[in-house]
Amino acid sequence: MITDDVVIKTEGLTKTFEKGKKREVIALNRVDLEITRGEVFGLLGTNGAGKTTLIRVLVGLLTPTEGKAYVLGKDVTEDIDYIRQRVGLLPQEAGIYDRLTARENLIYYGGLYGIPEEELNSRADNLLEIVGLKEKEDYQVKGFSGGMKRKVLVARALVIEPEILFLDEPTTAIDTLGARVVRNMLKEISSQQKRTVILTTHDLTEVKELCDRVGILNEGKLVAIGKPSELEEKFRAANLEEVFTGLVTGEGVYGDASL
Amino acid sequence: MKMPTLDVKTLWMIRKEIREVTRSRWLILGFIISPMFAWMFQGAFLSFIVYQTSEEPEMVYITLEDDGYWGRHLYESIAGNQSNLLINPLVNITLEEAQQKIADKTISVWVYIPAGFSQELNTTTESTMQIVVNTASFRATAAASRIDAHSREIINEVEIIREVTIYWYTIAPEANYGHQLAIFLVMLTSVLAPAPYISKSFAGEREAKTLEALLVVPMSRIKILGAKLVSGIALTAIYSVFTAVGILTYNLSIIMRVAGLAPELQQANIDLYTVNANTIPLIMFCQFLVLLCAIGIGVVISCLAKDRATAESVNSMIMLIPTFVIGILGFTGSILQYGGILGWIILAIPFSHAILFLNAVLAGTGTLIGLSINVGYMMGFTIVFLFIGAKLFEREAIIS
Repeated sequence: MITDDVVIKTEGLTKTFEKGKKREVIALNRVDLEITRGEVFGLLGTNGAGKTTLIRVLVGLLTPTEGKAYVLGKDVTEDIDYIRQRVGLLPQEAGIYDRLTARENLIYYGGLYGIPEEELNSRADNLLEIVGLKEKEDYQVKGFSGGMKRKVLVARALVIEPEILFLDEPTTAIDTLGARVVRNMLKEISSQQKRTVILTTHDLTEVKELCDRVGILNEGKLVAIGKPSELEEKFRAANLEEVFTGLVTGEGVYGDASL
Repeated sequence: MKMPTLDVKTLWMIRKEIREVTRSRWLILGFIISPMFAWMFQGAFLSFIVYQTSEEPEMVYITLEDDGYWGRHLYESIAGNQSNLLINPLVNITLEEAQQKIADKTISVWVYIPAGFSQELNTTTESTMQIVVNTASFRATAAASRIDAHSREIINEVEIIREVTIYWYTIAPEANYGHQLAIFLVMLTSVLAPAPYISKSFAGEREAKTLEALLVVPMSRIKILGAKLVSGIALTAIYSVFTAVGILTYNLSIIMRVAGLAPELQQANIDLYTVNANTIPLIMFCQFLVLLCAIGIGVVISCLAKDRATAESVNSMIMLIPTFVIGILGFTGSILQYGGILGWIILAIPFSHAILFLNAVLAGTGTLIGLSINVGYMMGFTIVFLFIGAKLFEREAIIS
């Protein structure tokens, strides 16, 4: 049953690439997941564990091979336009339009969601101020450093004020101070604005600081889900890193791994 | 497939696409310079030809072996009209010397009036003289043509009964050099022009990692594709405008070049080399179709290619085919002379229809049905390719 509070729900979600062929890869294997409104949910997993595939299925870039996925109560295979109007995405290897300025990148992206230009300008002012790029807003992005570009991308994902924000490794390539700014922004949009954030990261400190709950994916399977403290307790681990490495390598996990 | 409607978001995207394209200074510059350069270069080149063939004298070797009246008469006539025929100097030479020079390739024009020329003419009303010419030289070819025309005039003028009948077989209906040039240049540049746009669009977005975020915006992919196409068409519009400017500049350069010539030469050169300005709108229309078709093919390539370099390479490889067709057939305008399988293969290439269209329009021989078939085929081809492109764009693999 999908309630108003459950914004993401998957049931036996499976995604297989090259199905039936020699190179068949099961990227997601019967994933059952529920995420509630206002939650900051962390997706953990090694490279190739299925984190990005899960996000891509939830935003309609990939079609599930089996199972169901609902976002904001709508089936991703049926009402994707409704979903896309209300979710934001910062892809893992997101690029940016180099020939546009920082401000133009934000305005352009927001315009594709039908947001009026006046409103967009106001949001862009605010976001560029927060990420510390107000003074560079009229510079073409091609001259920006990797970290600055990432900040613009985070701001771009936020400019549409999505109900759900998917962030695939949002703080990668940003310096320590920049990463802190992004983390604070995420905390604010989650706690004050009650927006749901789903983020993938390899930084377990970040997970602990930001996430209400985490899900650990290993070879396409969701092998653990819960609050960081709950998982530590459940698996009798000193910290989340031990839980993660234990589940992924199969060593040093003493608790019950069944979900 | 549901037909997309033009909404605010699509317009927004078109605006950004055009803005981004117009900020690619080198791309824009290329679209301006390319047609202008092609035409201005041709203008300069043909001005040089006009000079070479209308003003610059040529050294002509002559061998007179005939001791009869007609041979001597012809020789004296050529020698006496050297300035009119633009011959300087006229050099007498023996048959053996001429043959040696031909073998050494040190002769441009050689006129040979053989022994028995007069006798044969008197008895059979037919006779043969030879002109050997190095056709690689415009000046030599033009001098040979003048001697040829002069010789026929002399023989025919004196002896009406020996009137020579000459049949002209016109393969290309648009015998005007300017029109042939228009077809060649318009086609060649239009087939190759969209390459930078094609590599920049989807393959470029994928390489720049901007495609994934673009594909999750609440817009159908067909609208995204459409917005990209509009920016491509905007670029082609720039190209078409500067093609028209280029043609007018070219015409002007020819007109200015022949200004100092005798009035009849002026008109002859203008008629031969310039492009009829009234046909420019139709040339632009045809060019637009060619560009659209090239973009249609390019979109498919761009959707399949992993990155810009691959898109550019594949596009160049595929466009070699129409480029060859244009190169070989465009200048002669003789596509329809080919029959059988080769003929059908040539007609299956959409760009061949553009050549046929331009041939017909510029020569004034087009019929409504014929032209409609040409336009319809190209449009159909473009639509099919855009449809394939749209389907490819819908694939999951587009993001990987």
